Amino acid sequence: MKRRSLPLAARTVFATGLVGVLVGSVFVVMLLAVSALREAERREARSRDVTVSTLALEKLVLDMQAGVRGFVITGDKRFQTPLITAQRELPQALDELQRLVAESPSQRKRVRLLGQEIRDYRDVYAIPIVNIAETNRAAAGSPAAVAEDKRLIDSIRMKFSHLLDAEEGLASQSAQSADERWTAALVLGIGGLIALAAAMLAFGVYLARSIARPVREVAGAATRLADGHLEERLNEGGPGEIGDLTRAFNAMAENLQRSRQELEAQNEQLRESERMKSELVSIVSHELRTPLASVLGFTSLLLTRDFDEETRHRYLGIIDAQARRLGALIDDFLDARRLEQGRLELGRDRVEVAPLLREQAELFRGQSERHRLTVEVPRKPLAVRGDRDRLAQVIGNLLSNAIKYSPEGGVVELVGEDDDGVIRVAVRDQGVGIPDDQQSQIFTRFFRGDAAASGIGGTGLGLAVSREIVEAHGGRIGFNSAEREGSTFWVELPAADRRKKENG
Amino acid sequence: MKRTVKFGVSLGGLALLMVAFAPASPALDHPGTIRITTREVAHRVMDQGRPGRGPGDIEIIRTLLYNKGLTPRAIGHGEVVCTFTGRRSRVCNGTYFLPRGKIVVAGALVFRQFYEFAVLGGTGLYNNVQGSVTVTTTTPKPRRDILTFRLVV
Repeated sequence: MKRRSLPLAARTVFATGLVGVLVGSVFVVMLLAVSALREAERREARSRDVTVSTLALEKLVLDMQAGVRGFVITGDKRFQTPLITAQRELPQALDELQRLVAESPSQRKRVRLLGQEIRDYRDVYAIPIVNIAETNRAAAGSPAAVAEDKRLIDSIRMKFSHLLDAEEGLASQSAQSADERWTAALVLGIGGLIALAAAMLAFGVYLARSIARPVREVAGAATRLADGHLEERLNEGGPGEIGDLTRAFNAMAENLQRSRQELEAQNEQLRESERMKSELVSIVSHELRTPLASVLGFTSLLLTRDFDEETRHRYLGIIDAQARRLGALIDDFLDARRLEQGRLELGRDRVEVAPLLREQAELFRGQSERHRLTVEVPRKPLAVRGDRDRLAQVIGNLLSNAIKYSPEGGVVELVGEDDDGVIRVAVRDQGVGIPDDQQSQIFTRFFRGDAAASGIGGTGLGLAVSREIVEAHGGRIGFNSAEREGSTFWVELPAADRRKKENG
Repeated sequence: MKRTVKFGVSLGGLALLMVAFAPASPALDHPGTIRITTREVAHRVMDQGRPGRGPGDIEIIRTLLYNKGLTPRAIGHGEVVCTFTGRRSRVCNGTYFLPRGKIVVAGALVFRQFYEFAVLGGTGLYNNVQGSVTVTTTTPKPRRDILTFRLVV
């Protein structure tokens, strides 16, 4: 089954959608790049905030240390002020830092550990040392205490340092990532725009190839068709509606060509009919004039002159024969007319064929001395059901033709036989035969082939009337002929006893 | 502040217990810090020679060890014996009995409020450890200290 191609409308929608998706993709990529830049800026700002908060927290730790040292060294409680202030502000500062680094798990962990260490410093060292210093400054200022202080503070400072370094690294990484994404987005955006331009160009070319060119071809073909070149056809392999258009155009051209051929055939038939009518007029005038001239001539002789009885009788015989010939001609014309109008009435009697053949042979036997008529029929009866006179007319026509078209004389065989329920009658002559190119027209009314030129009389109605009569009896008529070798015309009619045989 | 101290101590104790009850290895295989609190339950000075503090006097300290973050009960005890080398200064040896082993310390101290000993070794989980322990007094009566062991292997 031929696969129907996608309609142009669907292709156009698809291509437009594709371009739309491409535009959307480029837009999304650019949007992502801008978003990345904004994210990098936000990240940078947050890193600044983290740095500020970290430094503030470090200052609080150093304030705690300064407060502890100041008090341990001097014993003056005023030196505890930075420690007290730092202790008060420490939770808030830690929370703030924790909030700022909440998005980064690694930094969150660092801040958590740093906070823990600061709290340890406060709870395990600073506060106990201050308490010790209040009773024993020497113990609080012992080398062990100082070393512990240094150790704890160094550890805290290291953690601050790591936190800041990591934050700087994250900011740098974020900025680098943003740069990379921006560069990638720029490349993708430019590439996308180029691809978009290419896609639109390809779409334009596609439209030109798929629509404009086929339409031009259709227009050209239509122009040539209008100029009379009805054989013009288009290649039907177009997409969708173009395919439909070319197929419709070809169907239209096909119809036009067929209509013209039919018109030409009808015209030819009309010309042929006109020619046949002219020929008919000629034939009728000739065929009627000849016997009429004889009738008029012999009648005039008989009226103007006195002849002996024998001569007068002979002339009257000629007049009678020619009048009968005129009557037969008129009967042929009337039969042809009746057949044409479907008004031929047939009897449905049982007709014995063998006597009919013998009778017709006897009638024609006396018409030509150069021909020898033979009749060959089986002993058993050959009966058909039909109109005896019309069947006699058919046999007579065939015998007449056999004699007429055997101008050199010869044997005319009349054969009747029963071929398994079909009565077949054949009339075989040794005459001129029928040329191959005329055989297809032999049953056409008024067709006489080369007969007129050969001086053979006739109207060209005999065979046409015979065929109508035979077919009206449910039979067939046909012939076999070879030029200069003679012809055999045959008639096949259903046997009258066939039904009885079949039933019996 | 008291709560904060407790929290820190609890965390230290938790770490200690995690190390102490860790079923994996028989001995510590990585550095670590253990923080516990102590409560002095016995303190006695054996005066030798002339009355008053002086060289030769022997000080005996017995403490209970706590990790209040995990349990209010004592998780072990500590025994420290010091020999005075001067009026205040003394040289001490001590052993802290923890659930999964003992830690042996030694060192000199002048003020009991804040001093640092060396960790010499131990048994059980701590049989291969070294490092230091810092002792900070948080309350004098009853004396409570914070012990911070910084252990290396």
